[in-house]
Amino acid sequence: MTAEPRTGTGHRRPAVGQYAGDRRRAWPYPRTALAMAAAAAAAVPFLVPPYPLYRVTLVLVYVVALLGLDLVTGHGGLISLGHGAFFGVGAYTAAILLAAGAPYPVTLPAAGLVAYGLGHAFGRPAVRLSGLYLAVVTFAVAVAVPPLIRRLAPGGAMGLPARTPGAPSFTGLDDDQWVYLLVLAVTAAAFALTRVVIRSTAGRALAALRADAGAAELLGIRPPATRAHAFAWSALYAGVAGCLFTWTTGFVAPESFTVTLSITLLAGLVIGGLGTVPGAVIGAVVVAFLPAPGLVSGLALIVVLAVAPHGVTGLARRLPSFLGKDRA
Amino acid sequence: MVPMLEIGRLTVRFGGVTALDAVGLVAGPGEVVGLIGPNGAGKSTLFDCVTRRRDPDDGVIRVAGQDVLARPPHAVAGSGVARTFQHPAVFPGLSVRENVMTGAHRFGAEGFWRAAFARDGERRLRAHADRVLDRFGLLGLGDHPAAGLPYGVLKRVEIARAVAAEPRLLLLDEPAGGLGPEEALALSGLIRDLHRATGLTVVVVEHHMEFVLGLCGRIVCLDLGHKIADGPTHVVRRDPAVIAACLGAR
Repeated sequence: MTAEPRTGTGHRRPAVGQYAGDRRRAWPYPRTALAMAAAAAAAVPFLVPPYPLYRVTLVLVYVVALLGLDLVTGHGGLISLGHGAFFGVGAYTAAILLAAGAPYPVTLPAAGLVAYGLGHAFGRPAVRLSGLYLAVVTFAVAVAVPPLIRRLAPGGAMGLPARTPGAPSFTGLDDDQWVYLLVLAVTAAAFALTRVVIRSTAGRALAALRADAGAAELLGIRPPATRAHAFAWSALYAGVAGCLFTWTTGFVAPESFTVTLSITLLAGLVIGGLGTVPGAVIGAVVVAFLPAPGLVSGLALIVVLAVAPHGVTGLARRLPSFLGKDRA
Repeated sequence: MVPMLEIGRLTVRFGGVTALDAVGLVAGPGEVVGLIGPNGAGKSTLFDCVTRRRDPDDGVIRVAGQDVLARPPHAVAGSGVARTFQHPAVFPGLSVRENVMTGAHRFGAEGFWRAAFARDGERRLRAHADRVLDRFGLLGLGDHPAAGLPYGVLKRVEIARAVAAEPRLLLLDEPAGGLGPEEALALSGLIRDLHRATGLTVVVVEHHMEFVLGLCGRIVCLDLGHKIADGPTHVVRRDPAVIAACLGAR
């Protein structure tokens, strides 16, 4: 038997970018692209004036949140409408700790762990039912969190100002440049961790469950436990992103973390493309720059999904085959 | 000696239809048993019961003396049972190697934290998967996505994935289905080599009679949920009831 794929047997290889979770590589020079992206990202704070820099920093914050959401939705095939709440919980955890005088490096793991714990608490019972129940339960969380913050958190409806990380004097950087670089470092770490998780036993289990839960279970994969872990991990990412949000904006208020944010995150991810790293980046740009949900953004979502059912990334990945060079 | 697979009085009803009616089946350690019968005889349903995809209405199933029905579906792999499906259930988004590594899931770290940082285990899993891929002549396809491979290759990938779990009992559901005569012959050789090397117990559901006759030492024939024959291959193939039920129909 030959080890080469035989064609002409009537089985057509689906084009790249046709379904979510497609891990095939469409771009031929991943290392070059990665190095260029890293260099460009590191150069941004020295080329961009403060206010646009602030917007770009927020894009990176949303990238971290979407990488987490993608773990559950893109790779796990489950819908979460509650990531805005985990984001808010992370942001408030950081703001409260900063207000209490905690040094800012402490706030990052603290925000992540609080969100992770909540993710476990809500995800574990919800994923035992079925995919749609997770959407309902997380939606309930997203609706419940802003009023709870208003009632219980310091600052109430007025919100809570927070110290932003100041640049150490030896660096000679402005504070906003320093915050950008901190956020960039955390984003890079989030990328690396996502990559490792996706290519580990856990990531394969998640992909297997999404593709064929019955066959996956037969191999010893436990569906509820795997999904619950994925959900808690994605909440961890959202919490970390929330903390970065506090570092960036220096102010948190309940209105920032309503159910609208949860829906915008999900919509951004779908527009960007599920199950891919570029999808999370494009989605974050959408989340950061999309006008407040309304007629325009609603129509934009419909148009994008009609033109590119697998998001902008899926469209881009299909380009080579349109151009007649199918590299899949 | 404790049989590797022991099924007694297995009964499954779908509404008013009895798919399996008090069927018994025993496979000793290292045996290769063929399970034949016309469509609708209940062969796949029997596999589904052994692998806990379906709860039987009555009966006992023991693997190496352990009650299978008392354990959850995800424990099936741990008790040493692996199976393939009539239509290969490979995971399309994963590469061929990743599919086979998923087969060895029970040897890997399970939690997300441990999985993320247990790079050593990941390397071992990869080496294990590559050994299995090599055995099945798939090493060159390791990085190829499972989506879009020819049917015959997918069948082999699925068997490789099952074998990666290092089962004591391997259930193959129509492994030669949809294969050409040469491919079927090659697959039969692979399974025979595997059996010789590891001494595992194999139960094969198959319509392809040459495949069954060449591979199996014993044949069990089901028809409409009843066992109509059970014996050494050379005896069962001459059984008039078996010929009437399946051989004659071909």
